[in-house]
Parts: sequence; C-alpha cells; structure tokens
Amino acid sequence: MKGPNQEEEKEVEKVFIGGLHEHLTEEKVIDESQLVPNFADEIQKYGGKDVMTCLQCGNCTGVCPISLKIDYKTRSIIKYCQFGLKKYTLGTRWVCATCYRCYEHCPADLNPAEVMIALRHIAVREGIIPPFIKTAATNLVKYGQSVKPDPEIDKIRHELGLGPIHSQDPEYPKVIREIQVLIHASKYDKLIGIQEEVKV
Amino acid sequence: MTAPEPQNKGTPQGEPAKIAGAALVPKVGVFVCHCGSNIAGVVDCGKVREAAEKLEGVVVAKENKYTCSDLGQAEIIKAIKEHGIERVVVASCSPRLHEPTFRKCIQQAGLNPYLLHMVNLREQCSWVHSHEKDKATEKAIDLVLMGVSKATRLEPLEAREVPVEPTSLVIGGGVAGIQAALDLANMGFKVYLVETQPSIGGKMAQLDKTFPTGDCAICILAPKMVELARNPNITLLSYADVEEVKGYIGNYDVKVRKKARYVHEDKCVGCGLCSDACPVKVDNEFDLGFGQRKAIYIPFPQAVPLKYTIDKEHCLHFKTGKCLLCVKACTNEAVDHEMEDEILTLKVGTIIVATGYETYVPMKKGVYKYWEYDNVITGLELERLINASGPTGGHLIRPSDGTTPKRIALVQCVGSRNKKIGNNYCSRVCCMYAIKNSQIIMEHEPSTEIAVYYNDIRAFGKGFEELYHRVREDYGVEFIRGRPAKLSEDPKTKNIKIRAEETLLNKITEREFDLVVLSTGLRPSEGSKRIGKILSLTTSPDGFFQEAHPKLRPVDTAMDGIYLAGCCQGPKDIPDSVAQAKAAASSAAAPMFAKKVTIEPLTAWVNEEVCQGCGLCVELCPYGSPELVPGQKGGTKAHIIEALCHGCGTCAASCPQKAIVTRQFTDDQIYCEIQAALSEHGRKQAPKKRAEAEVSG
Repeated sequence: MKGPNQEEEKEVEKVFIGGLHEHLTEEKVIDESQLVPNFADEIQKYGGKDVMTCLQCGNCTGVCPISLKIDYKTRSIIKYCQFGLKKYTLGTRWVCATCYRCYEHCPADLNPAEVMIALRHIAVREGIIPPFIKTAATNLVKYGQSVKPDPEIDKIRHELGLGPIHSQDPEYPKVIREIQVLIHASKYDKLIGIQEEVKV
Repeated sequence: MTAPEPQNKGTPQGEPAKIAGAALVPKVGVFVCHCGSNIAGVVDCGKVREAAEKLEGVVVAKENKYTCSDLGQAEIIKAIKEHGIERVVVASCSPRLHEPTFRKCIQQAGLNPYLLHMVNLREQCSWVHSHEKDKATEKAIDLVLMGVSKATRLEPLEAREVPVEPTSLVIGGGVAGIQAALDLANMGFKVYLVETQPSIGGKMAQLDKTFPTGDCAICILAPKMVELARNPNITLLSYADVEEVKGYIGNYDVKVRKKARYVHEDKCVGCGLCSDACPVKVDNEFDLGFGQRKAIYIPFPQAVPLKYTIDKEHCLHFKTGKCLLCVKACTNEAVDHEMEDEILTLKVGTIIVATGYETYVPMKKGVYKYWEYDNVITGLELERLINASGPTGGHLIRPSDGTTPKRIALVQCVGSRNKKIGNNYCSRVCCMYAIKNSQIIMEHEPSTEIAVYYNDIRAFGKGFEELYHRVREDYGVEFIRGRPAKLSEDPKTKNIKIRAEETLLNKITEREFDLVVLSTGLRPSEGSKRIGKILSLTTSPDGFFQEAHPKLRPVDTAMDGIYLAGCCQGPKDIPDSVAQAKAAASSAAAPMFAKKVTIEPLTAWVNEEVCQGCGLCVELCPYGSPELVPGQKGGTKAHIIEALCHGCGTCAASCPQKAIVTRQFTDDQIYCEIQAALSEHGRKQAPKKRAEAEVSG
C-alpha cells in the first residue's frame, strides 16, 4: 500500500513526530544505558495494561488505520515498551487516533490504544509536548474548545439553518472563566506551559 | 462440647473410646523438621522444640534436619520404643506429601498408623511468612501447640479393604480409548468400551497422514480397531451413551443407553445393500459436509463395528411412514424401524475416561470470515480434502469452484493462545499439522506456493524440528511471523487477500491466496462436559479434565478408580495420547490385579440415635456418599457409604442434629485445637486481653 505522496507524508511526520524518528533510526547498537528499568510499571501507573502480556503477533499493526498512511507500527512501540526503550516511545505517540481497533483484535487482551494514551501522559510530564498540543490547549482555555472558532464556519452553519455556536452565548465568558479556574486548579496549564493564557 | 464421641464403628478394634477424661493424657512425641533450610531458614526450630517440650503429655521433643529421611524415621521409631510414646506429632511439611511415610514409620514401631498428627510448618508457615521470621516462629509454636492438643485426642483407626470388580469401563472410542481397552483386555480384564458414535476411531480416523513420519492415520488405526472388535475380553458398545455412574472404586454401577440403530447388530453383515437402496442423501459429518452419505449409513469404509445405522432425522420412513426400501433390500432382515433404545447396567471396578476433543469452530462474525468466504476452511476440513479416502479422493480443490489452489495460506493459532475468547492455552498440535499438511500438499502439487502465518512455531517432539526444516528447505514453504489482521475476498475470483504485519521485517504485507486454511485449536468436547458431570470430575481453567497431580499422577483423577487418557485431559498429539492411554490402563489394572483396595478410615460416621433422617447430608455431599435407609430401631436414618466418603466434613458441619462425626476431625478434636490456639501458654498477652485490645484497637 502506497501512502498519499512523499511530501504529505513528510509533513505529517514533522507535525506529529518532530524529527525524533529519523534521529532514532540512525542508532546502530542499543546498549544497556538506554534501557529504562520498570518502564512497564510506569505505563501501568498511567492507566495502560501490562505490556508484558504482548506476544508480538502484529495483529494491532495490521488493523491500524494509521499504519497504512505513515510508518507507524503499534507492535514495535509495544516492543520498545517491553524492552524499556523509553526515548523511542515518547516522541511518536500522538498519531494514534485511539480508534481501539487494536484492542478489538488483540489476542493477548492488551489495549495498545490505552498504552499510547499512557505514553502521552508520560511524555507530557517529561516535557515532550508537540506544538499542536499547546495550540489546542490554548484554544481550550480561550474558547472552551480545542478548535479555534472560525467566522467561516458560523456562516456555513447559518446557511444550513443551524444556530450560532456557543461563543455567541451570553453565559460564554462565565463558562470560560470556570474552565480556566479548573485548568489552573488542576495545574494543567503549568504542565503544558500555557500559564500566561490563564488569568485567574 | 455436645458432640457425640466417635465410636469408630467401622473398626472392630475399639481401643479406649474416651481419652478426654483428665486422668490419662497419652504420651506424645514431637518431631520438628528443619526441611533443610525450607523451615529452619525462617522458623527458629530450637524455640519450637523448647516450647513443645514444656507441653503437658510431651515426653520427647526432637529436631531433625530431614525427618522424612531414614535417619529421621529411625529416631521416631527409637523414641516410640524407648519412651513408650502413644501419639506422634511431626511438625514438617504438608500431610499430602509425607503423611503416608510417617504412618508407615509409626506402624513399624507398633503404633496404630492413625495416631499421627502432622503440623504443616513448611507450606503454612515458613514459605508464606518468609519475611517475618519472629512472627513465623510464634505461629509455628502455636501450630505445634494445637497439633499436640489434637494428638492427645486421636484414636486408633483401621483402614478397610473393599473388593475390586476386575472389569473396566472405557468411555470414548478414539485412539486413546482403543489403546487403553486393548491393553486392559490383553492383561486379561473384561472391558466395556462405550462410544457415542456409530463407529469407533474418533478424530484420528478423520486425519490424513500423521506427523512427523507421514504414516497414514487410518492405516495404522484400522488394525487396532479390528483387533479391538475381535478381542473376546472387550464388549464394544458403539452408538451408546453413559447415562449414570454410581458407586466407588472397585464397585461402580454404570447405566448405559444403547441408542437404537434401527439395524440389528447381530444380523447386519455390513454388505451395504440397504445403503444402495436408500433414496436419501445428506452431508456426511465424517467428511465435515464435503461428502455425502445415505440416511442408512456407515460413517467411513473402515468403520468398526461394520454395522449400518439409520439416521432417524433424515430417514424417509420416520418422516412420512413410507419408503422402507432398505428393509426390502436387506437379505438378512436386519433393518428394523421399530427398534428402541436399550438400557444396559454394567458392573465395573475402574473407569477410564477418554472422551477426546473437538476442534475450535471459528466465530460467526470473526476476522477470518470462515462463515462468509467459501475458500476459508479449517485444518480438519483440509485433512478430509487431502485424504485419499476423502470426498475428493485426495485431490485438493477449492470449495468455491473446484479448481486446484496454487497459492495457499495457513493461519496458525486460531482459537488458541487467545485471551479474548478465553482460550489461553496452546493446542500443541496445530503447528505440526500445518507443517505436515503443507508437506503433503507440496508432494501432490510441487508448484504450489504455501505461506504459513505463525506466531511461534512449536516443533518440540521427536522428529518435529527436522520436519519443520524439511518443509522450509526442501519444499520452500514460506513462514511469515504475524497474525493476519484482515481477510478480504475478491468477489469475482473468490481469491482471498490477507493483510498482516510481517513482524520480523517490520512491514505490513498484503498478499492474495486461492485458499486459506485456519489451523484451528483443540477444545474439550461436549461429551467430555457431560461425562464430567456424571462422574463429578474437576476441570482445569481451560476446561479440560484436571489430573490428580500435574507431574506425579498425570492419569489419575481426584476420584479413586477413575483415570484419564488422551485429549480430554489436555491437547496432545497421537503418540502422547497413546502413551497416556497405556499409562491409564496400567493405573487402572493395579487395583484390579490386587482385587482389593484399601479405603482410608477418615470417613464420616452417623450416630443413628441422634440422626433424624432429614436428608440434608444426602443433598449436600459432593460425592454421593450418604443415603437414607430404614434405621435399626425404625425411622429413616442417614447411612454413609464409606467407600464413597472422602472425609471432607460437609455433612458433619451441616448436620443440624450433630449426628455426623468425621473421624480424626471430630468436634472434640477441633475444639481442643481451638482452645490450644487461644490458650495463654507461651503467649505474652492473655487471649481475653488480646481480644479486648483488638476490639478497642
């Protein structure tokens, strides 16, 4: 199966992977210093199942819709997790669409999608945050949604006979305020690095 | 303590019925075992011995590195002879392991073997409390305290012997059942073999060749089947089901329903005229629906017994009341549509269960589309299609259009090693039968391309690895490490495209095949479940029957006199099944040769004067031991069939009248242990104070 085109593929990889992938594939020998002990336990702490149950059958990669578009192998990420190759796993996990097809097919009853979510939690806590996550988080505190409101969309909604989205609502500033308080209280703003956007 | 004193009715030798009186405390010897470092590594055995020495009644307390060794046993014998010890307490490992050893040991010294009490310091103390040494020692002292106090109340018991009927029942006529029956018959025992199908042979009869040697399955099985039918010691009950089993080792009463064949077995000569005349054609189950048979049929040409059977469901006579062409065709007047099921009662001493397996049936809406695509078949179906006596005469064809497939995919681990469907186990034979089948296909059609989608190849047996190498090197069979993720059918050509990750290449592959064969795993058969219920056999989590010990008692069950053979105990190949069948036959022969078995006296006993005949024990007993009988002084009373009783104590615990006593676990003995556990002896805090502290804390 051939991907869309080379350039598009590169663009996707740049946004989601940030060049880390290329850097890693250059390594020829992996020595012990790169292995993080008890990485599987850390994943479990952040809500993933025990990656050690994986039998490496490759069913998850086969059913993954992302794997047909870019070089993304669910199975090999799980293998990195089993091995404790932490740095290999933290940069690339944002492409997972959490469609849970891998979970549906997994004969070991592991849930690879939730492992990916756990890896995101770990990555963010390690400060590895792709720019688009920051943008989405900023949008959330500013507009109450991760996508920026667009006058164009409002126009289309109007044409379709739909009401305006909630930014027009008189209650709107109050809701935003509430979101900001919550985000501040949960220290999410500090975690993502968007303190300046939150005015509490 | 209102419990009645056990009078030990089963034993003629009465001994003192009451030792409980304060006057006479029997002399007790305590032997604390180090078990190397197993116990001594955690528990301070010296302290335990010192504590034991101070106890009332204890005359001797000794430590040993290995009490079970000859040296240790000699010391016990010496102590009994020198000090006149009347009760022995051994504080060592689980009684399951060494109770028989020590019983024999004290018997040698002239004591009744049941005057022994074992305290389990290893499994119940040192192993489980390895991190808390002080507390473990404290607990060990408590346990010995309890043990000694119980030992003072022990009473001599006498083991009983029951005669064994020198006849065996084998349930299931597959290769395991056949082998077990033949072995027992050749030893001179009478054997009944009950098979639910019209013919014996089981699954092995359906197979083509056997791995790794390539022997034709039916060619090596058929002689055994014939030998079995001819053996005068074997009564073959085919087309029959076991309905009820009552009794105990040596004396089982078995009820067998012999299903109506509608053909008299004594008159049928197997000529086949009836089948030729029969106008009804239906799918043959033996060929898994690929071939056809008549409504009056034998499943396969080598069937044993070679007696025709009418399939009532499809027979025209049973549907319309007419036809009867078979009756007209038969020259021996063997066909009889009026025949009825027959109930036979057999008396047997031992039972061998060989109820076999079923292959896993792929899910209706599964990934592999077995039910949707014609060209997806199972391994067993492939066996029939490449079998010379199969529906195609050994020519492999595609079900969709009858052409010879050129590209074949074999998919491994279907229905095995899958937690999602609850089959965690490896079916053990799929790797090898797939490899064997690919060899056969390549021999027939050398231009075929074969790809095996596997996860791990398990070629562990004698000659297996060599066969694996042969198909790779000589036949060029390709092995792809990855589980197929998606199968899609080309609506025109009916070819099947498989998408899978080749995990060793780290690439997603997509390839087209003419035929896909699912190597389906093994699972317990429906018949096994039914027989398991009738015999109250336990199963392991995978649903197969549980053996008594995974290593040392692999063919025994928890029920004495019932043995396991073949795939009903777990997936296995033909050599393993045959080996297990031979083992089961030899195990079953042991009590039949001896003509008697010893039955433990640790059974329940009913005090008839107290029993009101409520029948609660009859309902609750998992072994069917108690029965209600007319009492000697009138009324209905419970009576324990001792040979059936396992001494579990369910009846004694539940009896509202406290009329039932379990020997060696009498209320008196148990209360004694409890009192010892709560006594102040060797304790920093009085039990009452401690209880208060616990409540307030």
